[in-house]
Amino acid sequence: MSELDFLFAFAAVLIAGVMCCGRDGRAGWAAMAVYGAMLVAVMAAAGKVAGGSIPSALGFSVLGHKIGWRMDGLGWFFSMLTAGAAFFASWYAAGEWGRAQPGMKTQHLLLALNVAAMLLLVNAGDLLSLFIGWELVSWAAFAMMAQKGGPAQPAAMRYMIYALAGAMAVLAGIMIVHAVTGSFAYKDFAAAFGAMSSGMKWLLAGLFAAGFGVKMALMPFHLWQAAAYSETPGASSAFLNAVSARMGLFALILVLVKVMGLSALAGLHVPLIGLSAKGLLMWIAAFTMVIPTFIALMQTDARMLLTWHGIGQGGYMLLGVLVGTGLGTAGGLLHVFNYATYQMALFLAVTAVIHRTGTSDLDRLGGLITRMPWTYVTLLMGIIGLAGLPPMNGFVSKWMIYRSLLDSGSAFLLIFAFVGTLGTILSVYKLIHNIFLGRLRPQHEGVREAPWSMVAPMLALGGIGFVTGWFPGLALNLTDIAQAAMGAPELPHGLGGVATARGSLNMIWVVSILLVAIGFGAIVFYFLGNRRYEVNQLNNYAGGHFLSPQVPYQFSHEFYPGLARVIGPWYRGSIVRAEQGIGTLLDVSGDLWRGIYHLAWTPLYLLAATVIALGWAIMGGM
Amino acid sequence: MRLLADIVLMPLIAFITGLFLVLMYRRVRAKIERRVGPPFFQPVYDIVKLFAKKTQISHGVMHDLSIVLLLGGYITAEIFLPVPGFKGLAEEGDLLTLIYIMMVPMLGLALGVGSCANPNGSIGISRALTAMLAYDVPLAVAIIGATMTYGTTNLVEIVRIQQEGGMATWGIATMPLLAIGGYLAVHGMFGKEPFEIYIAPAEIATGPMVEMSGKYMGALFIMQCFQLYTIGVLYVTLFLGGGENWPLFLIKVAAVVFISVAVTNVYGRYRTDKVVRWMWKWPTGIALLGLALVMAK
Amino acid sequence: MSQSLPAIIYPVAIPLMGAFLLPIGARRMAELAGLFGRIVVLLSFSTSLALAVSIWTAGPAVSAMGGFAAPLGIVFYADRLAMLFLLALNVAVFLFWPRGQGAKGGPCTLMLALLAGGSGLILSGDLFNIFVFYEITAVASYGLAASGRTHAGFAAALRFLILGSVGSSLMLIGIALIYARTGTLNLADLSRIAPHALTGPVGLAAFILLLAGLGVKAELVPLNTWVPEVYGAAPARVSALLAGVVSKLAMVVALRFVVQVFPGDGAHTVLLVAGILGVLAGELAAWRAGSLMETFSYSSIAQLGMVALAFSISGAAGIAAGIALALHHAVVKPAFFMLAARWRGPVGGLAGAVKDSPLAVWLFVILSLSIIGIPPFPGFWAKFLFLKAAFAAPSAGVWIAVFVMLAGTVVEAAYLFRAVLVFFADGERGGSTPRFAFAQLAPALGLGAVLLAAMVFIAPLGASISGMADEASNAAAMAARVLDRGE
Repeated sequence: MSELDFLFAFAAVLIAGVMCCGRDGRAGWAAMAVYGAMLVAVMAAAGKVAGGSIPSALGFSVLGHKIGWRMDGLGWFFSMLTAGAAFFASWYAAGEWGRAQPGMKTQHLLLALNVAAMLLLVNAGDLLSLFIGWELVSWAAFAMMAQKGGPAQPAAMRYMIYALAGAMAVLAGIMIVHAVTGSFAYKDFAAAFGAMSSGMKWLLAGLFAAGFGVKMALMPFHLWQAAAYSETPGASSAFLNAVSARMGLFALILVLVKVMGLSALAGLHVPLIGLSAKGLLMWIAAFTMVIPTFIALMQTDARMLLTWHGIGQGGYMLLGVLVGTGLGTAGGLLHVFNYATYQMALFLAVTAVIHRTGTSDLDRLGGLITRMPWTYVTLLMGIIGLAGLPPMNGFVSKWMIYRSLLDSGSAFLLIFAFVGTLGTILSVYKLIHNIFLGRLRPQHEGVREAPWSMVAPMLALGGIGFVTGWFPGLALNLTDIAQAAMGAPELPHGLGGVATARGSLNMIWVVSILLVAIGFGAIVFYFLGNRRYEVNQLNNYAGGHFLSPQVPYQFSHEFYPGLARVIGPWYRGSIVRAEQGIGTLLDVSGDLWRGIYHLAWTPLYLLAATVIALGWAIMGGM
Repeated sequence: MRLLADIVLMPLIAFITGLFLVLMYRRVRAKIERRVGPPFFQPVYDIVKLFAKKTQISHGVMHDLSIVLLLGGYITAEIFLPVPGFKGLAEEGDLLTLIYIMMVPMLGLALGVGSCANPNGSIGISRALTAMLAYDVPLAVAIIGATMTYGTTNLVEIVRIQQEGGMATWGIATMPLLAIGGYLAVHGMFGKEPFEIYIAPAEIATGPMVEMSGKYMGALFIMQCFQLYTIGVLYVTLFLGGGENWPLFLIKVAAVVFISVAVTNVYGRYRTDKVVRWMWKWPTGIALLGLALVMAK
Repeated sequence: MSQSLPAIIYPVAIPLMGAFLLPIGARRMAELAGLFGRIVVLLSFSTSLALAVSIWTAGPAVSAMGGFAAPLGIVFYADRLAMLFLLALNVAVFLFWPRGQGAKGGPCTLMLALLAGGSGLILSGDLFNIFVFYEITAVASYGLAASGRTHAGFAAALRFLILGSVGSSLMLIGIALIYARTGTLNLADLSRIAPHALTGPVGLAAFILLLAGLGVKAELVPLNTWVPEVYGAAPARVSALLAGVVSKLAMVVALRFVVQVFPGDGAHTVLLVAGILGVLAGELAAWRAGSLMETFSYSSIAQLGMVALAFSISGAAGIAAGIALALHHAVVKPAFFMLAARWRGPVGGLAGAVKDSPLAVWLFVILSLSIIGIPPFPGFWAKFLFLKAAFAAPSAGVWIAVFVMLAGTVVEAAYLFRAVLVFFADGERGGSTPRFAFAQLAPALGLGAVLLAAMVFIAPLGASISGMADEASNAAAMAARVLDRGE
């Protein structure tokens, strides 16, 4: 049994275990242990994967086609992310939070199913097993989203329609490839792609890009993700955000970058615009970076804000990968890793807030820093990572993506990337301010900190983010394996970062100096001034009024009114209206056909039509 | 050893120069308003007074930590900003890193103000961040154009290129439109009229500074010193050829700040949405034009 | 003349005899009607099975009735494709035998007549003979449609009868046209003569007329307006039988015509257009349907449209895809109908059904996943075969067909899972949705088990379907076997 088979076996055992004993109080801890074992197994396979690929005994033959599974560097990278995310999610759900959930056994089961499906997807050995894994992941995610009921169900339905439409496009693409090459193997596709006609290349590139892009919420297929992910219960939602949203990116990297090749895509030209297929996709990624980020800025629900950011960050990852240089590809892959760490931390923190206060509405929270300090620290680390500021890891991957864009001369794309980051900074500040800063509401006076079973995994994730920000070489070693498997150029790097002739980044120095400087600042602040006195939050400047707990003295609603006045009118909702238009078209056509079936005159029309046809035939033929 | 000297001296020099710049700002304003203006050491007196005050009001641990973060962020920025004779760690972190390190103090301030639990402060920070979004767009365009012209993001390299070629290779000569757009953005970065909406003294009680007194206010003063210095030096490095020697360098930095503070005294205050609209129209437009010219070459 | 009857005749003769004898016995003892009928079906099934075994080992069997050799005499031709659907018909008739109130003499006789007619339909190799058996099947189905003895059932059956009769008359005219042009009614003979005599508009008109007749049973647009009405008003078992197996028999007969008599592009295009319209009509109307029964009626129109699309692709690959789709639908649709029979009324009223009847709901989920085409369920492999065949022979029409089919799949998933989410929604305190007695759920569960077994044994199943398709697409070999051997 190879290492990959061990992984599959772990997943299967876990599913069986949860189905039989999921209601036990210790089920969560057991699941966490199994995911941890999976993670260890994946990391242990790193060396073997770097050299070649690990085959699996899983496979079957049907209708004359052999289907198999195999782990290469790219699959290894995503398997590691899957196992790691599941580990932290189940750790979080193992204690008090899990006990408070109504259907925790179902949640554990669905998480196990999702992990198994994800492993099947990322370790697919050919196009057909890729599709099988793709569908399994889509439906497992659907079950996870729909599980809670209530407002989750329409969101899950919307997701399913989008996902299935994308899957059908992918299936069409795969079958066309089979018709042309006669097999489902990646290498046959790669070999035949260069020789295909331009129209065929466009068709395949379009089908695969659209089909896979739906799952990573590329514009204009992005409308489903935010609501669907935010309505999923907390720990599962963190997993979905961190990992499942990346399955689209994984498939895009696999098919478009590795198999088809970026140079082939750059050779396809769009008439009239002067862009190639690769350039078009990069601009789509750029718009996906910016527009969802500004939609996130306007959100009033903490989870919706985070899920809209998830869509935007996916754009960064795709952009980095599409640049194609060693630096860009490493930046994109590293961003996947970094994003998983801080997005999970953010989501788990927000879930902790919901657990204690019962709401995630940003207009109804405030001042929780005094009551939930550790959750605050996690959220702070998460937002620094999401905004891409030093000392967290988000900065490193963003720096690499910016540099790669600069090196390739794509100035306008870089401007979009900058604008996206700026919007992110605004948006995450609103998040942390409206939840933790500002004034504590009277109804939240009795809120306690989240229990250690919830705080520990959150802090661990934030810690990983900080450590990999300080020593990015650690994470870059992981992405190297994936990058080699992709066929992208290698990126020489050190423990601290990247050194190039045109500008380097050494995070060891940056973070160390930052810490030293903070030390200086602390010396200046604490030792050069007088003793400080802490005051009650009611002891605040109020222009002469006396503050009492009943007087709401918090600024959180419509946090950026000036910006909203400028940007608001630009939002036309065209894509939303287009989606509604398609829905209406379907409804009207359906009613039309149903109406036809309620007529009783068909035999008469039929008789008339065939008599005419018969007459024509007999006159003509005889 | 050299490095240790750099780490200690660069922030110190920045602070002292910043004190001069603050003094210059206040004297220029005074002259325009036909006053005498404060004495030479006034900024020092102010900081000492604030730190020595008996009542130091704190709104929690985060309040304190954010001030520390504020100072630490700017000190770090100084160490990565090369000046004549001091390279510091500019080789280990480039222009992009510097821009992002400069955002850390802003974040620190935002967190500190937030923990004060005063809506005036929160409104101020909201406006400050909005203004940051506004001026950072043309600034980004200018920086991108500059890096594309120089072909590197290493600040030491950028300075070297401009000094080797003489005045003809200065940024302001090779890419004038970008320099103009960048300067307008820099003026917004200074946070002086007409872009001082985030302070708006009479409207929101000085915004972020509403609950800052004593050493908290003193730290903000220090931050202002660092801020004027850093932004000025950044602009000089990118567009005015860096510093061949200290006297010329100081003159250039002072010139950048002087123009800004001179202009600021005759303006009122733009509303937040007007700041955003103006910044996204004029400086961005000019800078984009400049970028197009750079890319066409 | 040989003394013993050839084995091929038993699957037709036994149910036919039973159909004649049953009313006589039922007059004496009403309870025995059902039992007697079931025994007859079992007998018929065993003969079919024996026949199938011999054909699997020895190859297709030909039998001339009354010793009159082809092309003048009537020939019965049994190959593996015919055997598959013959066995399926027998199993379905047994599974959906009327129970309870419906098990009177009338419906039981009609069921046996249906069995006889369907068996003859699939085995016959002569045009007019096919027409005769088709009429027997049709009349039996009209009667069965009305066997629920409701007002709606009578009205629906009457409209069904009118439409079916019009269709059958057109079919007869088509047969007459063919006979006038070629002088023969034997399918094998026609396969040799048709390329000369039946080309051009006359041949196409003849095919359209034939398809008009077959299309009523095969639920092709525009002859399928009876479908939602009849399936909604007839007893659930009858609907299951008609939609599940009888429609497939008509499709297979249409396939035989296309392969042997009309191998040109014209007939294929007609099937293609009918298929595209069928899928569009079925999926879109199902999206707006009110109750589960109505939804499944429209869904069966769409699925049969897909079968027509598959058969419109010339070559063994298309036929294999069509067989797979038809077989899959024949397993899944009756199960759906049995579930919908209990879950009547608007879907919104079924909230929380997962608490009342969890087994039924999970069965519904599995069936839905299979019919949408999610791997590893068999429905996916059927669609996979279709796409494989379609992209091997692409033309403008085929691209449209593929697009329509894939888009239809998305709509299908939408309306099926709309219902599933309602089942899993929080309903009122349990007990508000109907529960299933085990006897009601048993046939559906059995079909679900068959589906899961097919999923496990997909490889040998796929291989045998490919073999079936190869055999069925070879018109020349069939003609040789029938005409050059004699009996």
